[in-house]
Amino acid sequence: MSKTIVINGKECAFDGNKTVLQIARDNGFYIPSLCYHPKLGPASKCRVCVVEVDGIRNLQTSCSLTATDGMIITTDSPRVLDAQRMVVNLLLANGNHNCMICERNGDCELQEAAYHLGIELPAFIVEEREDKDESGAFIVRDVNKCIQCGRCIEACNRLVVNEVLDFGFRGGHTQVVCDGNKPMGESTCVQCGECVQVCPVGALIEKKAIGKARSWEITKIRTTCPYCGVGCQQELHLKGDQIVRVKGVEGAKPNDGHLCVKGRYGYDFIYSKERLTTPLIKKNGKFEEATWDEALDLVADKFKQIIKESGPDAIACVSCARSTNEDSFYMQKLFRAAIGTNNIDHCART
Amino acid sequence: MDASIKKIIARYPDEKSAIMPVMQHLQRENKNFLNEDAMEEAARVIGCSKSKVYGVATYYTMFNTQPVGKFHLQVDTCVPGFLHGADAIVAHLEKKLGIKSGETTKDGMFTLNRVQDLGSCATGPVIQVNDRYFENMTIAKTDALIEALKSGKEPENDPSMTVISKCGILLNDRTQKDCRTIAFYKKNGGYQSLKKALTMKPADIIEEVKEAGVRGRGGAGFPAGMKWSFLPKNDSRPVYLICNADEGEPGTFKDRQIMEFNPHLVIEGIAISAYAINSKKAFIYIRGEFNWIADILDAAIEEAKKDGQLANVDIVVHRGGGSYVCGDETAQIESLEGKRGNPRVKPPFPANSGLYGCPTVVNNVETLSSIPFIIQNGAAGYKKFGNTNNFGPKIFGVSGHVNKPGIFEYPMGTPLKEILEASGGVKGKLKGVIVGGLSVAILTAQEAENLILDFDSCVKAGTALGSGGIMVVNDTVSIPELALRTIEFYHHESCGQCVPCREGSLVIEHKLHDLVHGKGKMEDIDLILHLTANIKGLTLCPTGEAFAVPIQAMVSKFRPEFEALVKR
Ligand code: SF4
Ligand code: SF4
Ligand code: SF4
Repeated sequence: MSKTIVINGKECAFDGNKTVLQIARDNGFYIPSLCYHPKLGPASKCRVCVVEVDGIRNLQTSCSLTATDGMIITTDSPRVLDAQRMVVNLLLANGNHNCMICERNGDCELQEAAYHLGIELPAFIVEEREDKDESGAFIVRDVNKCIQCGRCIEACNRLVVNEVLDFGFRGGHTQVVCDGNKPMGESTCVQCGECVQVCPVGALIEKKAIGKARSWEITKIRTTCPYCGVGCQQELHLKGDQIVRVKGVEGAKPNDGHLCVKGRYGYDFIYSKERLTTPLIKKNGKFEEATWDEALDLVADKFKQIIKESGPDAIACVSCARSTNEDSFYMQKLFRAAIGTNNIDHCART
Repeated sequence: MDASIKKIIARYPDEKSAIMPVMQHLQRENKNFLNEDAMEEAARVIGCSKSKVYGVATYYTMFNTQPVGKFHLQVDTCVPGFLHGADAIVAHLEKKLGIKSGETTKDGMFTLNRVQDLGSCATGPVIQVNDRYFENMTIAKTDALIEALKSGKEPENDPSMTVISKCGILLNDRTQKDCRTIAFYKKNGGYQSLKKALTMKPADIIEEVKEAGVRGRGGAGFPAGMKWSFLPKNDSRPVYLICNADEGEPGTFKDRQIMEFNPHLVIEGIAISAYAINSKKAFIYIRGEFNWIADILDAAIEEAKKDGQLANVDIVVHRGGGSYVCGDETAQIESLEGKRGNPRVKPPFPANSGLYGCPTVVNNVETLSSIPFIIQNGAAGYKKFGNTNNFGPKIFGVSGHVNKPGIFEYPMGTPLKEILEASGGVKGKLKGVIVGGLSVAILTAQEAENLILDFDSCVKAGTALGSGGIMVVNDTVSIPELALRTIEFYHHESCGQCVPCREGSLVIEHKLHDLVHGKGKMEDIDLILHLTANIKGLTLCPTGEAFAVPIQAMVSKFRPEFEALVKR
């Protein structure tokens, strides 16, 4: 049975178990949120997604509030906005939130919240600075921009289960640490980048993207990762025809935003000068460029010759792990039906 | 694996719970220093990630992840210590040892630190040396202490203070040498209530406790019987009882009086309560600084076991690691599960999903200690003490500017005046009183004049009875300085999970620091009030409110003092 809640006077119907934040978003209401990530669930820590609920004295965090039929919600009262402004101001008060030169400028959830709440300049500043951790091969950590939302920790421990990150220290000193507070590059981190994927601000950024493009110069293209048969969905961030960074596609099968280190950071090979662009045929001990027809004819001739001389079982095929399931299927079909052998294998098995 | 570690792990239903005791053990074995190897060892034996261990070790103040001297001197300079002159002790030690707070002497003998509340409020100034407390310190006694430590002699502690028990229910005669023994306890009727309880139906015990209207003595004042009745019926999961002995609210030092001198009372209370709620495993979560009291409890549990009193329940004493927030029941549960003491989002409530996801009740030491009396004398007997809705005996602790600070077991509803008289009267001219531990609103001398000490009267007077830790402030004290001490405590203790508390306490601390040091502006005063008004009710756990309320009260009630600090 469909239920209804009222948000700022508008009736919003919903089914099943949903939080007020989800319903608000479904209905086009913007409620700032920082620690909540759909993949990780509510954390109720940043306290910025608070709303007023008729009949409840204190403001409630909409990310963790399960909607019940008839609930009356206000997201834009002075009381709500005051609290939200204070929270965002407090986050801006401490740390180096200098948006002008931040990689996440234009694509930062904190900046977006500040913009919507009309915070031009932080109301109070108490700053402490620490050096960035640039020791990781692909990831730069800027603790000065970290808002301790904990998303990266949840992602590292619960989603990819690499168990590298956790919070260390306490209170105002709370910080994300790798292993026993090692620089990321010396820790057991495998640089999968899942933490970067979920970070709402510029505290975890892709090293290779630094200085390459502003967020508004980016075109996003969805594609399938070429590395293996899983077929992870990627979103390429391009400036012109150059890849600036690769993100996983949230909510898409099969990877729901996850990528491995190769899929996320190993994209430079496409620009390699050594990349083969035509088939090569070895003549007189040296490779020479050839056309596809020449190459395929040569292979077909050799196969035929071998079959004639030694039978089809003198030939075997090994399918590459970078091929898709469909490609591997065709490969075995070709070898069974056309060549006539069962000598079929896959490199990931050998 | 080392046998002692195996033994520690075996005490818990889940080995993760052993992470703190294992680290405490490893730290003790390694000259009071939890180095990287020790943390790796802990991760290995517990089977968790290194970052998890590091996160836990650095959350709690008692784990030394940096080396410390042979004697780690920690002076409590929180509000009660401040009122008792602890700053002078720190200054003296800095001069005498030639180091600043936070440093270690060159010969590696002494490390000096200012620390937050040690729970020795009436006997301040107090210095903790490794595992031991030295109370009622003066400059001369500090000199003697240092000399004794240097020459390898066992220094003496003087824990004396005023102790008056008008009700005679919770406090026993501590002047008796054998006051802690089971023989002494039984001679005075001990364990008779347990015997009686075991003949009763659990439901009837819960009814009796409900009828007695005993309200939680940890500070919140929630009816204990009601809490018990929230447990799900016909549930197959085990039920856990946790005795909250983490008293950490500055001004509070009452539970330790029971545990240290009358340990069997709380044990009997736990045994009865566990029977009532069908719990086979109970924990006493005691703050780690009270290590010697935890030893006393361990010994008393052994005695009670040998005497056949604990056939129905296994009681484990679990030492905390130095964290105020772990006094919050869900933070305590997290901590007991071997995690950082971050409070949980409610719901679910512990009654439904607490320790290890099982039904759990968390009750304060003083609350549980009143159960044997209720069983023996019935709800009616209990209700002879106190007034409507506020029954029973209550332990008040008085510290600060009185002539004879100490501990007072009086009926609920006693006028503040009477307690102040019992503690020798105010030293100098009264300026204000904080009656329920540091988290409640300060009352001006005038507001405190006719105050009745019970939950409801205190709320009516615009404050709260809280834990009953009374701090008396005379007119020599600057309220802005008091406010700064207050916020320093909460900022230090904030778990850091939620923004209004973590960052709000930081900004307030900075602003108060500026004001106290003559660098403040008029707007700062309004900013502090704006922040406190918004923080109240906005945080994940009550800690935000615990500083927003007292700071707001200090600033608004004594505003001219803050304004006078702004240079025009
Ligand atoms: S890159 Fe992957 S393994 Fe490394 S910290 Fe981030 S989530 Fe964990
Ligand atoms: S690094 Fe990013 S994701 Fe991790 S806690 Fe900080 S802000 Fe959140
Ligand atoms: S209010 Fe403070 S102590 Fe409580 S959860 Fe938030 S940060 Fe932690």
